[in-house]
Amino acid sequence: MTYLRQLRRSSLRPALGALSLAVLAALAAPQPTHAAAEAPAETVCIQCHGSLPDRLGAPVKLWRTSIHSENGISCNACHGGDPKDAADAMNRSRGFLGAPKEPDIPAFCGRCHPGVLKDYLASAHGRALGKGGPTCVTCHGNHAVLKASLDLINEKSCTRCHSFERARIIKEAMQQTEGHIVGIDRKIKDYQAQGVDTERLGKSLFAVRNRFHTLFHEVNVTKVKAESNDINTELGKLDRDLKVVDEARAKRKVAGACAVAGALVLALLFHLMKKSYD
Amino acid sequence: MALIKRLYDWIDLRIGAREIVKKELTGYLLPRNINEWYSLGSVLLVIFALQVVTGMLLMVYYVPDAEKAFKSVTYIMNELPYGWLIRLCHAVGSNMMVAVLIMHMLSTLFMKSYKSPRELNWVTGFILFTLVQGISLTGYLLPWSQLSFWATTVATNSAAAIPVAGPYLVEFMRGSKLVGPPTLGRFFAMHVAVIPAVIAGLIGAHLFLLKRTGISTPPFGTKEPAATWSPESYRYESHPGGIPFFPNYALQDLTSISVYFAIFLAVVFFAPNLLFTPDAFVPANAFQTPAHIKPEWYFLANYQTLKIFPSELLGLSVQAAAMTFLALLPFIDRSPERNPMKRPVFLVCFVGGFLLWIGLSIWGHYS
Repeated sequence: MTYLRQLRRSSLRPALGALSLAVLAALAAPQPTHAAAEAPAETVCIQCHGSLPDRLGAPVKLWRTSIHSENGISCNACHGGDPKDAADAMNRSRGFLGAPKEPDIPAFCGRCHPGVLKDYLASAHGRALGKGGPTCVTCHGNHAVLKASLDLINEKSCTRCHSFERARIIKEAMQQTEGHIVGIDRKIKDYQAQGVDTERLGKSLFAVRNRFHTLFHEVNVTKVKAESNDINTELGKLDRDLKVVDEARAKRKVAGACAVAGALVLALLFHLMKKSYD
Repeated sequence: MALIKRLYDWIDLRIGAREIVKKELTGYLLPRNINEWYSLGSVLLVIFALQVVTGMLLMVYYVPDAEKAFKSVTYIMNELPYGWLIRLCHAVGSNMMVAVLIMHMLSTLFMKSYKSPRELNWVTGFILFTLVQGISLTGYLLPWSQLSFWATTVATNSAAAIPVAGPYLVEFMRGSKLVGPPTLGRFFAMHVAVIPAVIAGLIGAHLFLLKRTGISTPPFGTKEPAATWSPESYRYESHPGGIPFFPNYALQDLTSISVYFAIFLAVVFFAPNLLFTPDAFVPANAFQTPAHIKPEWYFLANYQTLKIFPSELLGLSVQAAAMTFLALLPFIDRSPERNPMKRPVFLVCFVGGFLLWIGLSIWGHYS
């Protein structure tokens, strides 16, 4: 009993130290709390309209599926207003623009996409603006804005206004390039997710993709074919850059295999040596 | 060879090297039934040394500034010759260190090596375990990626659950209301200076205690006469007739270290992304919360435990109680029996506790 008492007394200090550390360790563990609460709040537009029914709430649901939402572009980026003040969110003195009238739509979107606006206005579609021709939202949608891709050129959409014949020829001419761009984009994203610095490659692809997208509003088949060839040459350079990364990573794997094999051989060797001493 | 012998003689004449070698290596006898699990301590020493070396090399190019940290890590990974290897060794090594440390603790628990007179060995080891978790947590923020930024936001926020002092503690840890540049400065200092120094000191204390108490005899295998310890006087647990540390057990240590390196290098070269999510390669953005931020694998059980309980404080208290129980186990479990097969209640608690930890971790991963 005396021993137990002595032991209890002597063990009190390390016990208290361990207790404090244990509490600290438990506190240091990441907890699933408040991450969302600390994130910047959604704009008041989303907060208010998101809970409204029917016509007033529908844009929010559509927007959530859009490329704008994906890129963090909220309502105020297009419609103006104060996204932090519910009372003045739709106050014109705070820059609120509301919804544009149909002929104003290209200029409305063109504030952020000036290059595309220029291409559009120069195209047959743009020249028909105000005369029954399509605006940006006719093909790209308004709140559920779709990412520019060849999928937007489809029979269902184009035949709302004209035959699909010429559109199909243009789409076919661009298909291969689109596939090439998508493939390179996927590869760059894969590498980025593995820690490869893809900034330069990403920027180059962005420039090539933009150049390619200028053709989306072009209806001159010969020009589309010639431009597509040039763009494919540019994409070939990116392919070569990616191949360099591929080769470097393959070399690393060979070196890794040698290192792992070396370690295993050493392990076996040490084990056998130990056995000889047993 | 003659030159080496002459050099050895020269050194021996001055510091008595032969005596040290005899006492600490060839004459240092270990139990005959010592097993492979005892070599995990040596593996951990090698891992710690590797972490220190790779950490020092990373410090040459890493910039602990919120504006430059991510770019400096990107530079190390992509531009610096073999920078990727150094960084991956450091990042993978930190995870492996926790994994091997857990295995070391589990084997100590299973073989009851924590029992009297080795309470202090267990306590110093337990403190080392918490410090290794701490050094991993502070290192996590340094790349200043989306993953590190938000994981640190969530981790530091947990202290807010403490009544009254919580919010002040959070601000103290972060150096500001939210995670930001001051947090990076604090975590960097803790990661590269404070915690490593304390860990090094505690490793020294742990080894000192090991040397003073002697190696424990495993509770199974070839039986040595049962070690008896009288609490009235200090006694070193010697193993007359045992195997020498050198070369016998040193070769076991080298075998375990080589096996460790094979696994470690396999992860570094073939599956480094096992430990990184894509958010780890996106620069920190305080205005964009990633969809699913999960803590590192060894904190997943803690994470899930908190989600189970309705109140944060209750969840924290349960975890603190569990950790305290584990820390004080040598003072609670006083039975002299060390063979787990003869202690069914202990065996059930050990296996059940381990399975619960794994279950909670898997649940936390998929929740």
